[in-house]
Amino acid sequence: MLARYIAKRLGLGILQLIVLVFAVFFIIRLLPADPVARVVGMNASPQAYAQAAHQLGVDRPLLTQLAIYLGFEPSVQPGLLQGSLGASWVTDSPVISEIGQYLPVTITLVTLSFLLAFALAVPIGVLGALNPGGRADKGVFIYSLFAGSQPEFWWGLLFVYVFFFRLGIAPAPLGSLSPMTDPPAPISGFLVIDSLLEGQWAVFVEALEHLMLPVVTLAFVLSGPIIKMVRQNMLRALRSDFVLYADCVGLPRSSVARYALRAAMAPAMTLIGILYGFMLGGAVLVENVFSLGGVGQYAVRAVLAFDYPAIQGVVLVITAISLLVYLALDLFHAAIDPRIVV
Amino acid sequence: MPRSGKFLAAASTGFLAFTALPASAAQILVLTEDVPAGLDYDGPSAAIPASQSGMVNMLEPLVGYAVARDKKDGVIVPDFSKPVGLLAENWTYDPATLTWTFKLRQGAKGCTGDTFTSADVIYTFARAKSVSGAAPVGWFLANVASIKGFTTDVFGKDPKAKELGDGIVALDDYTVQIKQSQPNVLLLPVLAIFGLQIYDKKIMEAHATAQDPWSHAYGNTVNAPGFGAYCLDSWQKNQSISYTANASYYRGKPAIDKVVVQRVPEASNRLAALRTGQTQLVTDLTPKEFDSLRGIPDITVEGVTGNQNLFVHMNFKSPPFDNPKVREAVSHAIPYEQIIKTGYFGQATIWRGFVPSGYPSYVPSAKDFVYDPARAKALLAEAGYPDGKGLDKFADNLQLAYVSEKESTLGPIVNILQSSFRAIGMPVTLNPIPQTQYGDRQLVKGDLPFAVNDQEKPIGVDAGYAVQLFFVSKSKGGLYNMANYSNSKVDDLWAKARVEPDTKVRDQLLAEIQDQLAADVAWAPVVEYKTQWAMSSKLTGLRWYPDNAIRFFDLKPR
Repeated sequence: MLARYIAKRLGLGILQLIVLVFAVFFIIRLLPADPVARVVGMNASPQAYAQAAHQLGVDRPLLTQLAIYLGFEPSVQPGLLQGSLGASWVTDSPVISEIGQYLPVTITLVTLSFLLAFALAVPIGVLGALNPGGRADKGVFIYSLFAGSQPEFWWGLLFVYVFFFRLGIAPAPLGSLSPMTDPPAPISGFLVIDSLLEGQWAVFVEALEHLMLPVVTLAFVLSGPIIKMVRQNMLRALRSDFVLYADCVGLPRSSVARYALRAAMAPAMTLIGILYGFMLGGAVLVENVFSLGGVGQYAVRAVLAFDYPAIQGVVLVITAISLLVYLALDLFHAAIDPRIVV
Repeated sequence: MPRSGKFLAAASTGFLAFTALPASAAQILVLTEDVPAGLDYDGPSAAIPASQSGMVNMLEPLVGYAVARDKKDGVIVPDFSKPVGLLAENWTYDPATLTWTFKLRQGAKGCTGDTFTSADVIYTFARAKSVSGAAPVGWFLANVASIKGFTTDVFGKDPKAKELGDGIVALDDYTVQIKQSQPNVLLLPVLAIFGLQIYDKKIMEAHATAQDPWSHAYGNTVNAPGFGAYCLDSWQKNQSISYTANASYYRGKPAIDKVVVQRVPEASNRLAALRTGQTQLVTDLTPKEFDSLRGIPDITVEGVTGNQNLFVHMNFKSPPFDNPKVREAVSHAIPYEQIIKTGYFGQATIWRGFVPSGYPSYVPSAKDFVYDPARAKALLAEAGYPDGKGLDKFADNLQLAYVSEKESTLGPIVNILQSSFRAIGMPVTLNPIPQTQYGDRQLVKGDLPFAVNDQEKPIGVDAGYAVQLFFVSKSKGGLYNMANYSNSKVDDLWAKARVEPDTKVRDQLLAEIQDQLAADVAWAPVVEYKTQWAMSSKLTGLRWYPDNAIRFFDLKPR
């Protein structure tokens, strides 16, 4: 049953991706600029322009370009069917390898941020819900208001100013490692994992130090809406019939709270899943502030340079990951809520 | 000390000890807004200044310029009247046959120990003429200098036209002859530009493939092997690039052994890192940020009026800018001093011309480009738009475009301009657009009606080159006439100047052109702003070059 559900969802996901492939391909070509201009720069003679257009392949009919992108013209260049996302029009490097370089940075950042946000938000949200209107609840309200209402880049810059520039207790916001440190040879692409696999303990510690401020920044901002969601749902759960019944039959307070929390978690997890997918591309401001070189930065650069292969590739990959996250979320829902049948 | 304070102090000491960077002569850290996206000057990223900065540190040109006797604004600058040999030691020119004979330097070595010879020069020019890269910059420069055979025929179907032919020949291992198809003084200036620097043939050919016989993929994604001062150490595109000194560099081993260039997108972080001693050199700060660093101990802010400028672009095909009175009105509505003060914190001067003022043959305009709103209003009335009446119908063309990525620098300036234009009755609105879109509309479509531009500079140091780039009609050989300016007098004068061998006569022709451009208000020049860098006081030797890229070879510990 479960396997059938997963297969069905994956099939649906692939269908969504196919639609997306076509939509993105045509929509980006509606953008009001010609990428050839960026390539030729000052050398914009008609001949040079034609040469550049030919090199990029944009002088071919649109449907031919689409066929090449999809992989129906492998003699011209490999396409999606051959597992290729093409080469960037800015760097000439394969898009898939560039995304493979940037995505682990963002996944590390976003995952650690969500773990921290979750670890903070659940107890704080529960605390607020257990004593509604009390001092703790008011404190929770103020915290979540602050955390959720200010843009993350603002907090990032503030944290850099305070913790790096003024106090000197955080490393300079110059990337995932100090610029003078040699990174470990890529195995998984994840710096913290590769440094451990290669026994480079000092690099591992340094990588964590460099993640400290960006993770705190993002977690601080993300925790705001999660706290609100947990608190609200916890309050609702605590007022529900089954909790009243549990109280009446004399179950221990801790057991009652556990049941209520379980019921409150499902909506919170939905929010987390949605935010996670959003943050894969949306963490760009934090990546920018801390020079982390994640996939969000890659996407923004691609869009600004009208680098069609890179835009197509990054949208496709982020969407695929988001779909997988949503699937995992549905499975998690089913696991914690017996009313949901997969 | 409270417990938390002790913790912070201890933590602070620990982290600083861990993150402090060595500021020794052995290596420096440079923080920039961007790092090279490619290292092939015929590749897709050649137009990106950060990419050019990588090329000029690893490749070497045949020709450069002597150092000027006096510094300018405290910065070492070239003397453009004295071209000197770099990989070429010296040269002779035979005007009868339009042939240049270059004696090449002996003993120059690349990063792998390859010795520079005429074969490397031949390879470089043959590669340029193959026009096999995404953006044929090498061909473009050779074409501009009238090197024989570098015509538009190379883009035709005849494969022979793409072969080097007899325009450039090697007489022996250390002698090369370059022939021109007509007299043209631009040969030496273009040989000094990044787009004709010399590749190490042996390494390039070792990475050639059947599909890519000129190793563009290698140049774009792996390395730019040449005979320059630095060798590629590591390169993570969009992140960082590091160079190690070429111990065999013919001008001597560089004083800095290793240079790490790190991309830090936030200017405020680059500034903070310099202030805390984490880096030794930063670039691409806003004028305000550079200003904030002046007077701070151990930090030097250097700046020079080189070739960067700001002007207001008005398209001759877009009404009301087809009316000379309107263009003139615009030029008198610009509050020059306020822009210098507010936009550049004093690090700019009023630009009274159409060619960088430091270039040979520059002539300051006789026309008085001064802020005079009353005169601007009167001119607008003479143009048929008293108090701006009737300009509403040109609302689309009165959108003042600028590059949105430059908001932090251009934002204050365009706001000043908008207010000033509105004050004389022009209903100007602001139109920030992405760099690529701006470039497309300006370069390719030529349909940008009204814009503020601070990014066009002729890196070929010659007034004639600048005129060809920006003002000659496209049908007469103009290259980049973004304002669709066309004046047969200018075209004719430029055609004469292009082939005029006598410098004095040529200067006179170029002066006449500049006078005509001013009379036509071909664009409204505003200011020349300083190219600035901020660095540790322990570094010295920084020089300015027309491409505005730092040569790390110049840097030395104080």
